[in-house]
Amino acid sequence: MYLTRKEEKIYDGEFGWAYQTAMKILVRLGDLFGASKLIPIKSAHISGVSYKTLGDAPIDFLKATAETCPRVRVPSTLNPCGFDSDYLVTKFPEKLRKKQALILNLYTQIGVVPALTCTPYYLKTPKNGWHLASAESSAVVYTNSVLGAWTNREGSPSALAAALVGKVPDYGVHRPENRQPSIVVKVETELANEAEFGALGVCVGKMLKDEVPVFQGLPANVKGDELKQLGAGLASSGMISIFHYKPSPTKGLERVAVTKSDVRNAMENLSANVGTPDLVFVGCPHCSLGEVKAVADLVRDKKVRREFWVCTSRFVKEKAMEHVRVIEKAGGHVLCDTCAIVTWLKELGVKVMLTNSAKAAYYSPTMNRVDAVLAPLNECVETALKLQR
Amino acid sequence: MKTLKGRTIVPGKRRGKALVSTKPISFLGGIDPDSGKVIEKNHDLAGENIKDKILCFPCGHGSTVGSYVLYSLASKGFAPRAIVNQIADPVVVVGAIIAEIPMVDKIDVQKIPNGTEIEVDADKGLVRLLEDS
Repeated sequence: MYLTRKEEKIYDGEFGWAYQTAMKILVRLGDLFGASKLIPIKSAHISGVSYKTLGDAPIDFLKATAETCPRVRVPSTLNPCGFDSDYLVTKFPEKLRKKQALILNLYTQIGVVPALTCTPYYLKTPKNGWHLASAESSAVVYTNSVLGAWTNREGSPSALAAALVGKVPDYGVHRPENRQPSIVVKVETELANEAEFGALGVCVGKMLKDEVPVFQGLPANVKGDELKQLGAGLASSGMISIFHYKPSPTKGLERVAVTKSDVRNAMENLSANVGTPDLVFVGCPHCSLGEVKAVADLVRDKKVRREFWVCTSRFVKEKAMEHVRVIEKAGGHVLCDTCAIVTWLKELGVKVMLTNSAKAAYYSPTMNRVDAVLAPLNECVETALKLQR
Repeated sequence: MKTLKGRTIVPGKRRGKALVSTKPISFLGGIDPDSGKVIEKNHDLAGENIKDKILCFPCGHGSTVGSYVLYSLASKGFAPRAIVNQIADPVVVVGAIIAEIPMVDKIDVQKIPNGTEIEVDADKGLVRLLEDS
C-alpha cells in the first residue's frame, strides 16, 4: 500500500502508540484486501459499546488507547449501550452500571460522541458519494444502498482506527467496481409490511453471503423504513454491504427468485412457537420520526397492558415529543441509547419478545436467550393492548 | 526438518508447542480472557489452554470484539506465542496486531502435528516443524 510521508510517520510511532496501532490496523487490513492507498472519510460510527454484549473485552484496549490522549480526526458516533438513562438503568446493579459508564467514558475521552444509536444517519445524513467507516452492519447497508454514501462493513477496532486516523484503506465497496450488482433477486410476491421486508432480508442474506444483489419486483414507492428493515435483515444473516432496488442493467447476471412461500417460511423461522409475549419491542434498527408517529397513531387514547418499548435515538425522540407523549400516556416506554438486543433482556425477566424487526427476531434467541415472535407493527400493538394471560 | 511456507501477517519470530485445531475459533465467548482456557462447548480444543502455545487453527469467526479479547489475553500474560491460520480473517488479524502476536496465514495447519515443537518465523512467513514425525 502506498503511504504518504505523514502516514509513514504515524505508522512508525512518531505520534504515539494509539495512532500507530490504529495505522497498523488500517495498513494491514488494506494489504490483506488489496487496497492501494488510504482515503479520507467524513465520519465514523463505532460499535463495541454495550457492556452486556462485550463484557470486559475492550476495556483494557480502550484504556491503553485513551492513556496516550489521542483524538478522533472526524466526527465519530457510538452504537447503543446496555440501558437508557431513565428507565432500564434503575433495574440493574451498580457494578454493571459502573462498567458501562467506564466504557462510555473511555470513548468520550478520545472525542467520540455518545450518540448511542444504530441509526446515526438520522442525526446527520451522509451525502451521496461520501466515504465513511461504519461498524453497525444495518447502518452499513442503509448507508451504501439507500443514501449512496460508501462504507465497508467495519469491525469495532477497525472503525475506531479509522476514526483516529480519519482515513480508510480503499478496498471493498470504496471502489465503484465492487458496488455493481452481481446477482438478480426477483421478488415474486407483494410484501405486505415492514416485517416481511425484514424477513426477505434474512432469507436472501442466508442465500447470498457477500454478493451485491439487485432486487426486482419491489414496489416503485418503497419506503426508506422498509428498505431499512430489508438491509438490517440482509446484514444479520449474511455479509452483504450493499444492495440495489432501482432498475439497473442486469445483463448476464445470475438470477434467483424469492416466492411468497419463501417469505412466509422466513417469517415462521424467525418466530418461536411459544406462549404469549411479555415484551413488545419496536425500534430495531432505532425508529425514524415516521415510525414513532406510526406507533403513536396506533396507541392514541388506548392503554397498553404489557411491557411495550419503542427504541430510538435521543435526537429523534426530541423531534418526536408530541408522539412520545401519546405513547407514554398509553403506558409505553420510548427508550433512547439502547435496545432489546443489547440490554440484559433475560435478566429483566423477559421470556418471549414480540417484535416487528426481523433482525431482532434473528438475534434474540442466541444473543439474549429469549424467544422471539415476528409480526408487523399493527399486530405488535394489538397484542400490546391485550390483557396478558 | 520440514518447513511450511505461508504469508506474513504480523512479523516476529517465536518458538513453542503447537496447539492445533480443525475448527474456527471465536475469541469472544470461545476463550476465557482470565485464563486463556478454551471454553467453547464442543470445540476440539475445549479445556485446553492457549497460553504460551503456538495456536494453529483454520480461521477466526464471530464478533469483531474478539480482537479485543486477544489484547486482554496478552496484557494479562495468557496469549499464545504466535498464531498460524489457514485464512486470516479481520478479527484475528486486528487482534494479533494490537496484541503484538506474530502471525502467519496461508498454512495448511493440519500438516502441523499437535503438541510438537515448532518455530514461527513470521518475518519470512514460515513455519518450521522442529520434530521429526
